[in-house]
Amino acid sequence: MATTLFRKVWDQHLVVKSDRANLLYIDRHLIHEVTSPQAFDGLRLAGRKVRRPDLTVATIDHNVPTDNQLVISDPLSRKQIETLRSNCREFGVPLHDIASGRQGIVHVIGPELGLTLPGTTIVCGDSHTSTHGAFGALAFGIGTSEVEHVLATQTLWQGARPDTLGIEVTGRLAPGLEPKDIILAVIRAIGVGGATGHVIEYFGPAISALSMEGRLTICNMSIEAGARAGMIAPDDVTIDYLASGERPFAPKGRDFDAAAADWRSLRTDDPSTYDKHVSIDASVLAPQVTWGTNPAMTVDVTGVVPEPEATPFATASDARRALEYMGLRPGTPIEQIAVDVVFIGSCTNGRIEDLRSAARVFRGRHTASGVRALVVPGSEAVRKQAEAEGLDRIFVEAGAEWRQSGCSMCLAMNPDRLTPGQRSASTSNRNFEGRQGPAGRTHLVSPAMAAAAAVTGHFTDVRKLLSASA
Amino acid sequence: MEPFRTHRGQLALLDWSDVNTDLIIPARYLKRIERTGFGPLLFADKRYAPGAAPEPDAPEKAGPLAADFPLNSPTFRDATLLVVGRNFGCGSSREHAVWAVQQAGFRAVIAPGPGEGFADIFESNAYNNGLLPIELPDADWQTIAQATRENPGRAFATIDLETLTITVETQGESTPRAKIAFAIPEAQRTRLLKGLDAIAETLAHETEIARHEQTRPAWMTPTAPH
Ligand code: SF4
Repeated sequence: MATTLFRKVWDQHLVVKSDRANLLYIDRHLIHEVTSPQAFDGLRLAGRKVRRPDLTVATIDHNVPTDNQLVISDPLSRKQIETLRSNCREFGVPLHDIASGRQGIVHVIGPELGLTLPGTTIVCGDSHTSTHGAFGALAFGIGTSEVEHVLATQTLWQGARPDTLGIEVTGRLAPGLEPKDIILAVIRAIGVGGATGHVIEYFGPAISALSMEGRLTICNMSIEAGARAGMIAPDDVTIDYLASGERPFAPKGRDFDAAAADWRSLRTDDPSTYDKHVSIDASVLAPQVTWGTNPAMTVDVTGVVPEPEATPFATASDARRALEYMGLRPGTPIEQIAVDVVFIGSCTNGRIEDLRSAARVFRGRHTASGVRALVVPGSEAVRKQAEAEGLDRIFVEAGAEWRQSGCSMCLAMNPDRLTPGQRSASTSNRNFEGRQGPAGRTHLVSPAMAAAAAVTGHFTDVRKLLSASA
Repeated sequence: MEPFRTHRGQLALLDWSDVNTDLIIPARYLKRIERTGFGPLLFADKRYAPGAAPEPDAPEKAGPLAADFPLNSPTFRDATLLVVGRNFGCGSSREHAVWAVQQAGFRAVIAPGPGEGFADIFESNAYNNGLLPIELPDADWQTIAQATRENPGRAFATIDLETLTITVETQGESTPRAKIAFAIPEAQRTRLLKGLDAIAETLAHETEIARHEQTRPAWMTPTAPH
């Protein structure tokens, strides 16, 4: 019977199955300092152990300072980090700590260490766990009670099997356009609740043409459309990435061959089996910029701030509240909006290709006066790679700050944050009120568009800069 | 977990759509490693006057309230039932959002749109903590929202999880304003009614879990020592 990629992975992990509830086995449990302390406390209270420390892995990302990771001056951040360390010691959970060379944002290090594999189930107390679906894994975020449940049992209860939403991306991205533009256009088309209760599968020529980095960006933001998870079927690009010899935890030798044979069967036999279907043409996209306070509030860089009555998926009063918060007037051309801060990083766009595309725009240019630009690699490995390629020098010569890895200004739990009223061009995934600092104003864009805003001081269609330097 | 059978309480209304968990509990409060103390932090950046929100390490020390935040209305002071717009709790997986709603005194949240009222992770988190997330057809949700709008502070509802009904009444009136049926997944209903511990329930399936572990392909376990 024809079935979907999602369904294959789901079925292979069912431990207990009924019409009302399904118990799923979890192959990877990723842990970070913010959502785990109460879960470990729960285990201690009940006298329980971690069932499979070998399938569990921790890192420190949300609270880490990115100027000097070793000096954590905020006492609450320090306590949270130290709590994770002592929990990992007590329960035998491996930790990729600061200064280990392997530290980074949990969704960046999973793939690069070869922990993220096709056909596995992956959970983390973090909604952007959807990122790992780029490998054809079933990966989703969970709450702290569920973190405790997975620690104790290596399984998770789920309700009825979610429906699937097939998102076909046809055509090819034009120069200057990036995977971030695809996913922003998708969310703009279906809304922030458009995929609630569904697992998204992305497919089509524009998806197949993407590198693993680009696919990770797409799946990362599935949660911004409300999806349970986002998935892309593994192919040669996926298998080559895992075979590349720098993935310490990926299978090797004959195990790898056996795994790759399994992975090749992980595909949707017939796209007509999706419960819902949406199609987007990548070749007609313009660079996307969010104007409001959720990721569906997006327009083309060539467009204007919309009228509140003309915003899909938001009531006029929701849209008016968003405009007021953002300090924007309908009809203002996007390219006339000036920015104070540019943030390039996060689990959406903190990988090596993202830094390369920002560097292409920064090269030979300088940040506009009054603009602060932060470039924050997603992991220490990305940082090393970027430095080996000389990207750090391009950033620094352009007047941007080259920093150490962490979540940083994506959610402002560390000292990197907007001050009230400041406006940012950010490559992260959420433009929610206060996300980058209380009363801060966030516009989501691709890395190339963020760099373009940094060097011009306002949103600028990056295609103009690229043709100027070509 | 405390069982949930019936609950009668005052209704409060926050008629905004797509309320995200960053709004429900801003990230700086997630530095707390405790599971308690989140009540005063609920909607902190909306609820308090600019600059008056509590510090993460002293949640009880808050400044003056904001004048314009709907839930600050004195008529909602005793509310235990929160009526909200579509897609409530979207965004981050932080369970702190559920803890904050619950610790601010709410026992149930009522949203419009079956399957669309709550973001998925928020909904699971709510069930796991015994906070009842109820999704209603638009017309039924409107009935409750309208009752709250018209009689703020005097609109009450009784939620009966045995019979799956919500009885809406106005204080001082002898006949109920409406009786509304709702549905939640049966497995969740059983857990809530009995106040079951999910982990204990799962550990009863040890044989099946161990059997699954024996059949997993070898490549699914990380290969190198960490
Ligand atoms: S980079 Fe941002 S979205 Fe990603 S895990 Fe960190 S805080 Fe969450």
